[in-house]
Amino acid sequence: MTRISVKDLAFSYRPGEEVLKGITLDFDGRSTAIIGQNGSGKTTFVKLLKGLLKPTRGEIHILGRPVSEMTAAALAPYIGLVFQNPNDQIFKSTVLDEVMFGPLNIGVDPKRAKEKALHALQMVGLAERAAENPQDLSLSEKKLVCIASIVAMEPEILILDEPTIAQDHAGTATVRRVIGRLKEQGKLVMTIIHDMDFVAENFERVIILHRGTVLADGDPREIFSRRELLERAGLGVPHITRLGWSLGRTKTYLTEAEFIRSMRGEGAADR
Amino acid sequence: MKTFSLYVEKDSLIHRIDPINKILYILTAVSVPWILPSMAVSFLWMLISLALLAAARVIRQSFPVFAFVFLVLITVVLIQGWFYPGNRTPLFGAEPFVFYAEGLMNALRIVVRVINIVAAFLLLVLTTKPADLVEELVRRGLSPRLGYVLDSIFQILPQMVKTTRTIMDAQRSRGLETEGNLWVRVKAFLPLIGPVVMSSLIHAKERALALEVRGFHFEGERTWLREKREYPYSRALRAGLLLVLGLAVVWRVLG
Amino acid sequence: MKKIIVEHLKYRYPQAENLALDDLSFEVDEGEMVGIIGRNGAGKSTLCQALVGLVPHFYRGAYGGKVTVAGLEVMRSSVSRLSTKVGIVFQNPFTQVTGSKWTVYEEVAFGLENMGVPRKEMIERVDYALHLLGLEDCKDRNPFDLSGGQTQRLAIAGVIALKPEIIVLDEPTSQLDPRGTEEVFRAIHRLSEEGMTVVLVEHKMEKIARYCNRVMLLDEGKLIQFASPASVFSREDLTRYGVAPPVYTRVCRELDAKREGSPHFPVTLEEAREVLKGR
Repeated sequence: MTRISVKDLAFSYRPGEEVLKGITLDFDGRSTAIIGQNGSGKTTFVKLLKGLLKPTRGEIHILGRPVSEMTAAALAPYIGLVFQNPNDQIFKSTVLDEVMFGPLNIGVDPKRAKEKALHALQMVGLAERAAENPQDLSLSEKKLVCIASIVAMEPEILILDEPTIAQDHAGTATVRRVIGRLKEQGKLVMTIIHDMDFVAENFERVIILHRGTVLADGDPREIFSRRELLERAGLGVPHITRLGWSLGRTKTYLTEAEFIRSMRGEGAADR
Repeated sequence: MKTFSLYVEKDSLIHRIDPINKILYILTAVSVPWILPSMAVSFLWMLISLALLAAARVIRQSFPVFAFVFLVLITVVLIQGWFYPGNRTPLFGAEPFVFYAEGLMNALRIVVRVINIVAAFLLLVLTTKPADLVEELVRRGLSPRLGYVLDSIFQILPQMVKTTRTIMDAQRSRGLETEGNLWVRVKAFLPLIGPVVMSSLIHAKERALALEVRGFHFEGERTWLREKREYPYSRALRAGLLLVLGLAVVWRVLG
Repeated sequence: MKKIIVEHLKYRYPQAENLALDDLSFEVDEGEMVGIIGRNGAGKSTLCQALVGLVPHFYRGAYGGKVTVAGLEVMRSSVSRLSTKVGIVFQNPFTQVTGSKWTVYEEVAFGLENMGVPRKEMIERVDYALHLLGLEDCKDRNPFDLSGGQTQRLAIAGVIALKPEIIVLDEPTSQLDPRGTEEVFRAIHRLSEEGMTVVLVEHKMEKIARYCNRVMLLDEGKLIQFASPASVFSREDLTRYGVAPPVYTRVCRELDAKREGSPHFPVTLEEAREVLKGR
């Protein structure tokens, strides 16, 4: 089932300088990571999906609805975007109010909004901090509050912009867990991210954007096997993949567990 | 908008004049017509200021400012022409909107003065790089810290505008409607103020730390990367302007 | 020669209940590259700020113990004075741009102007810093026109131009993409090779393991261990401190693959390959 349909999407901030050069993609339910260097057009693409920018050419349909006919706010119940910098968003005086802001905006009644907010806070492990002032939280906790504030709106599609930046080990584990739960709930989870280890372990589909076009589109194993392509796009591979190759393996390992199993001889021979 | 300056890049004599002298010119151009309030003097100064603007070849860039000023001045002419207390001699018009000579004369006086002042300011703003002006002020004793504040306004403000746009996007993404009628936009204001203020404060603090560790409060003589600029006729101009100012005072005192 | 001497350092932020730094004592030699790791809130940033005097002079609060950097006692020296000996680079590249200069070249000279360095020497130092950080091509560009990686290198250049003996970097690559991260690490490594003492806070364990001579593990303001990367990352109880070792170490631990003749596990790709290649 196609959740997002993008046809020949093009965009320029200034006339003559195309940032996106005609992208055609369909997104079904597979969790997707969009990777690419800074300047490749990833953030612009995501803003277009969210209706924050209007394309210079092409069409986007979200769950069958044409984005061109809706404002960004009107799209909020269907597609959520967690911004990179929590300080660009947080303004309420309690964590709970902050997380309730989104649901209230899209018309959920206050009682249900509070339930959804608490549920979302539980998912990110911050339910006990609900009454605190968000400004008293650390940067990584604030990022989790932002994720909760979008999760509480229960959109079918969630996009996370660099969720693992500034997170320590525990924070990254929380983000991983939240993505897992969202996938279980059947949501389409998308992310813009630089952490290749995280991509390989958590996402079913990887799209490489380079200079405004789609350079590659496939599952992580396919994508991370294409060394020259990744080099051309200025991207790296997960550490475990590199380790496997340096040992002369032909297989592209995506997770530590896989590698370990293989080393113990539990998997098929991959020499 | 990466930077925020009205400076027009051209190579005229005016551009090469010491910014301090341009400030002095503004002072003189404003004070002399005030000290010697005759119509002739005001008119003369207006012509001088406009001529200097022409010499700097920035007349075209002055148009938008003058256009705005004229809109305001038209109101002045109307109000003065109709309602000036000293009105006696009707010139034209129909009851109750009759234009009187005295009122129009007064309006003309105001118009000429305003054009003079605006032109003098434009002369500074359009022909001077903000960084050059601040450098001159700091070289002459302005606190470098205050100089920094003045310098940074031109680039930090556009950055804040950019951040505000990002904040707007973040709230729109959460269902805050910002597109629509006036009431909708007004309601959208509050959720934007909080993060804008907060992020400005956070950025300001981070910047303050970065400045601090680069000797912002260093006690002692500072030095300059750029060579001290020699401005043509700097002393002569300064002396000349002060002389004119002095003469005006003397003339007034002597009656 | 000891560049950094920390003796029983204790610090509490104003209006905080707990100590942010709790009885830290350690020494760093000249030319060492030290990595500081620990969970968020462990005190890593606070320690960085204590090395340059922002703690206590900027933040106030309750301070105890003694910190000496390049021969200067932090408590008794102003931040400006300390800035001539120890420089610091922060996480956010963009808020380190002063905003008062219109070209990269002038931006790097900012600190030098403040500190009264003579023009001839200023130019030499700016040229040197730009060269070291690979920014010569950008020298006439507006500082706000640079990418994240370039901006962070600009921040480092601005600090290097002050010729500090020690440089402290607080998660300098946290907001950068892989290429920007690589550029910054390469630059830092070059600085270390030139003899500068480097203190680096990072979450990218693989990079810490590769570049640092010693690693300091902090938790709740306390020093847990300060030793070689192999020693620290081989600890069994790292997750208790909210830290995970490099991927290579995790894998080798699972496979019980220690380094030849050593009680420790590999911490870099090369070491892991050495140990695993026979299997």
